[in-house]
Amino acid sequence: MPESDPRHLTFKLVYYGPAQSGKTTNLLRLHDQLAPEMKGEVMTMETKDDRTLFFDLLPLGFRAPSGLLIKFRLFTVPGQVAHDGTRKAVLSRADGVVFVADADRAQETNNGESFQSLADNCARVGIDFSQLPLVVQFNKCDLPTATPESEVRERWASAPWPLVFSIALTGFGVEPTLATLLRSVYRRFADEYALASQHGLDEAAFVAGAMGQAA
Amino acid sequence: MSQAFDREWQLGELLDGPLLEQFGANLRTLLASELAISDAAGQTLWGIAPPDAQRLPLILELEPIGYLLGHASDSGRLTAARNLLQIQLRAQVRFRMASTLHLEAVAEDFESLRREHARLSESEARYKALSAELEERVRHQVAVLEERQQMLYQAEKLASVGQLAAGMAHEINNPLGFVRSNLSTFTKYLEKLGELKTALGEDLAAWQTLDLDFVLEDGVDLLQESAKGLERIARIVADLKSFSNVDRASEEFTDLNDCLQQAAGIVEKQLPAGINIQLDLLPLPRLICLPGHINQLFFNVIRNAMQAIQDAGRPGSIRISSEANEAGIAIRIRDDGIGMQPAQLERAFEPFYTTRPVGAGVGLGLSTARNIVLAHSGRITLDSQPDGGTTVSIFFPAPP
Ligand SMILES: Nc1nc2c(ncn2[C@@H]2O[C@H](COP(=O)(O)OP(=O)(O)OP(=O)(O)O)[C@@H](O)[C@H]2O)c(=O)[nH]1
Ligand SMILES: [Mg+2]
Repeated sequence: MPESDPRHLTFKLVYYGPAQSGKTTNLLRLHDQLAPEMKGEVMTMETKDDRTLFFDLLPLGFRAPSGLLIKFRLFTVPGQVAHDGTRKAVLSRADGVVFVADADRAQETNNGESFQSLADNCARVGIDFSQLPLVVQFNKCDLPTATPESEVRERWASAPWPLVFSIALTGFGVEPTLATLLRSVYRRFADEYALASQHGLDEAAFVAGAMGQAA
Repeated sequence: MSQAFDREWQLGELLDGPLLEQFGANLRTLLASELAISDAAGQTLWGIAPPDAQRLPLILELEPIGYLLGHASDSGRLTAARNLLQIQLRAQVRFRMASTLHLEAVAEDFESLRREHARLSESEARYKALSAELEERVRHQVAVLEERQQMLYQAEKLASVGQLAAGMAHEINNPLGFVRSNLSTFTKYLEKLGELKTALGEDLAAWQTLDLDFVLEDGVDLLQESAKGLERIARIVADLKSFSNVDRASEEFTDLNDCLQQAAGIVEKQLPAGINIQLDLLPLPRLICLPGHINQLFFNVIRNAMQAIQDAGRPGSIRISSEANEAGIAIRIRDDGIGMQPAQLERAFEPFYTTRPVGAGVGLGLSTARNIVLAHSGRITLDSQPDGGTTVSIFFPAPP
């Protein structure tokens, strides 16, 4: 559930995935590339050898035509297996998730295990996984050892979630990933919060507001 | 979710009273003018705002969570002061988020451990139960095997006794036959001797000298007695044959009273003077059993009773009773003989345990008896007082 009072609506979006798949890199690129009405600094909580120990946080926001302040808080979880408790706590109360998979063929097992842990942890923290807005990003497509896009698409063909291919290192695919998630989030919550009827926000305006491509 | 690490933190909870006081006082000294710190709603938390105060926002993420109010003419310094305060607030929020998240994560980890522990305990309990069950099954199987082995041993022993009895009966029947026929021929010869007396007429001097009247009369008596003796031998042989049941090695519907009577009959033939057997048998339902084994059982117990009375060195009686109810058939064999000491009673069912002198018995009596009873799903118990006699109670449950 987004946090709301009469003047704000806050969506919590979580970047989840196996260790070193590029979650933090996604957030850093978004901070550089996006220009919404409001953008905070990336808050990086404690890293060790560049690996996230707690979380990273990027706040974004814009005002709807109605005057409602819409905020997005983008979190990353620590991907290392040992930090499952932290991962679960960060995942709590998520309104949308980007699953950042590592396209490197050698990481297939880690991707699978991490995705399973996402489903399990959702159940444990009270998130209905089947209703959760979710985008699957295959990152590091630049690697020579990356699984080819066609093969990934074939394998995920029967899954209901949109797939995005990216190279977070260069920023490629990072914005489309967020835009895709934002559209799912809009569809999931628009009616409940009367985004169109009371706040003058359609799907395109919602995505554009968050990403700063409005005018 | 007001305790969650990702809640919207308020200025008041990030800078508590003492911290506010320290910051405020130091900033006032640096700026050399009055200032105030207020929360997002404009409520002053510390200080006094000067009349023409400028209001600078304190921003953590996107929006102000509070304001620094100071003198407008000093705006460069005021901004620097605001920045210092903001750096402190951001450090504070990072610390608070990290520590709150850490607590949440520890709670989650603890919860996972608890779940894992519960799972392990459950599977441990399952394995324990399984191993107990396995042990029990092994014990049961071993018991079954032991019982089978005993039965096999018994069956073989009984079969060899039976074969011996059958062989002996055959061997004895042969001479018995020709002795019997010779005796009847001899009876006819005696009749011829009677005819001789008539043929002699008046000249009976030699006849009388030899007292052939007596020979004739006593000869007939002797032959009749011998014939009776032969009858007895024939009956004993027949009893022995039916007792050993060589021809009946499989289970049959049997009246246990018949078995008791047969066994008592065999013992009776060996009874010394002064010992008697009393039978008090009530009608019994027929029981599926191996009659040969049951005969052996009763024989062993009745013979023990006889020996116990002999050991007491006085006259006595063996009382055998039977009765049936819904639960099953109860048989009691009671003697008023020498009885058993508690130590004897304890070991009475052990194979090869005997109190008799070497050579008087191998001591298989009661152990064999118990094996036969167990093989028929029955119970056998002993009740004995030293010098007060022994009661053996045997119970066969009614078939379910
Ligand atoms: N080749 C390549 N490397 C990438 C790409 N994206 C990220 N990386 C590198 O992968 C490493 C891990 O990236 P991070 O963003 O720290 O990964 P993370 O998912 O935050 O890792 P954890 O915090 O440990 O869970 C870094 O060295 C990145 O430079 C990509 O698209 N291609
Ligand atoms: Mg990271």
